[in-house]
Amino acid sequence: MGPLAPNGIISENTNMFLAFFIGIAFGWVLESSGFSSSRKLAGVFYGYDTVVLKVFFTGAITAMLGLLFMGLFGWIDLEVIYVNPTFLTSAIIGGVVMGAGFIMGGFCPGTSFCGAAIGKIDAMVFIGGLFLGVYGFAFTYKWWEKLYMANYLGEPKVSKSLGLSDGLFGFLLIVVALGMFWAAEWAEKRFPREEY
Amino acid sequence: MKPLKLLAIFVLPLAIIIAAVPQNKTINSTRIAANDLLDDFNSKTQFIAPDAVADMIVKKDPALRLIDIRSQAEFEKFSLPGAINIPIADLLSDQYADILNQDVKTNVFYSNGTLAANEAWMITRQLGYKNNYVLEGGLNYWFDAILNPQKPVSTSPDEEFAKYDFRKGASQAMGGGGAVTAGPAQSSSAPKPAIAPLPKKKKAAGGC
Repeated sequence: MGPLAPNGIISENTNMFLAFFIGIAFGWVLESSGFSSSRKLAGVFYGYDTVVLKVFFTGAITAMLGLLFMGLFGWIDLEVIYVNPTFLTSAIIGGVVMGAGFIMGGFCPGTSFCGAAIGKIDAMVFIGGLFLGVYGFAFTYKWWEKLYMANYLGEPKVSKSLGLSDGLFGFLLIVVALGMFWAAEWAEKRFPREEY
Repeated sequence: MKPLKLLAIFVLPLAIIIAAVPQNKTINSTRIAANDLLDDFNSKTQFIAPDAVADMIVKKDPALRLIDIRSQAEFEKFSLPGAINIPIADLLSDQYADILNQDVKTNVFYSNGTLAANEAWMITRQLGYKNNYVLEGGLNYWFDAILNPQKPVSTSPDEEFAKYDFRKGASQAMGGGGAVTAGPAQSSSAPKPAIAPLPKKKKAAGGC
């Protein structure tokens, strides 16, 4: 049956319409999890508050389990789902830049909009920087093009390169995630911070 | 209860189940829906014109791979230059999978008419293979159009003459030359006429 839009069950416009409401719900969840606070977001790097890690990883494993089960029941064709192609070099550089910006700015792109929506000035400044970066990259694209396109790997799957089934890899990832949550909660106790 | 424990109690059993069940292979994305196949079939994008094929043969285009899907006996009696033989009965045998399922070469199926070649194309299309085409009109039309081209009437537009010149040249290059019945000996002794280039046409539209 699914995915709905590529299989023509719902139109592209309906798809965008649904995405609009899902986006609002996403913002609501971010805000109610406290993600509009840059102190909370930066906390994951210092260990005093790991809610970012827990919320996002829980989201990821929930979606993964959902997709795997829907695939198992034949509700969705996992092969049709769009997977971002991997350009290894730019993924690494982008990860470093994004991580550094995350620590310094105290927001990631989604949460900065969340913060701006409730009137936080630092979040608005962050969005300004975000647009500067986007336009700066776009206008100087030809300088970066080679680097940007380097080490193209297609659409690799970790499960495939390890020779595991998707389900088994999912299981291992969930075990690792639960271990990580446990370690994160330990870190919260180990590096408490009172003043934020 | 702590949220972490609650989460573990909820997701771990699901994780164990998903690890233990075999992957669902019943929905194969490469297979296409019947109505899509019918659309493709009706739009006739699977056909590649004999002139385009002749042009590729003459230019020794490395991308071209002609696949004769008739029986081996028929193949040995006559085949197009460079063609390989995959009798339609053996189409799905493993030894041909790499030939049919690839994205480098342009496979062109042909049979006497187009019926059998279309069948082969539909089967490969159903399997999601790309770059497979059908020689329009089949060998019968090939004989009429390429190997024994009829001179157009004098009132025909220039393109008709260009096409005729190309076909005549191509047929001689391939050992025909309006002399299919006379055998190849004659054409090899005769000087080969220059083959007028075929007017540039857009690449065969993909069937996907």
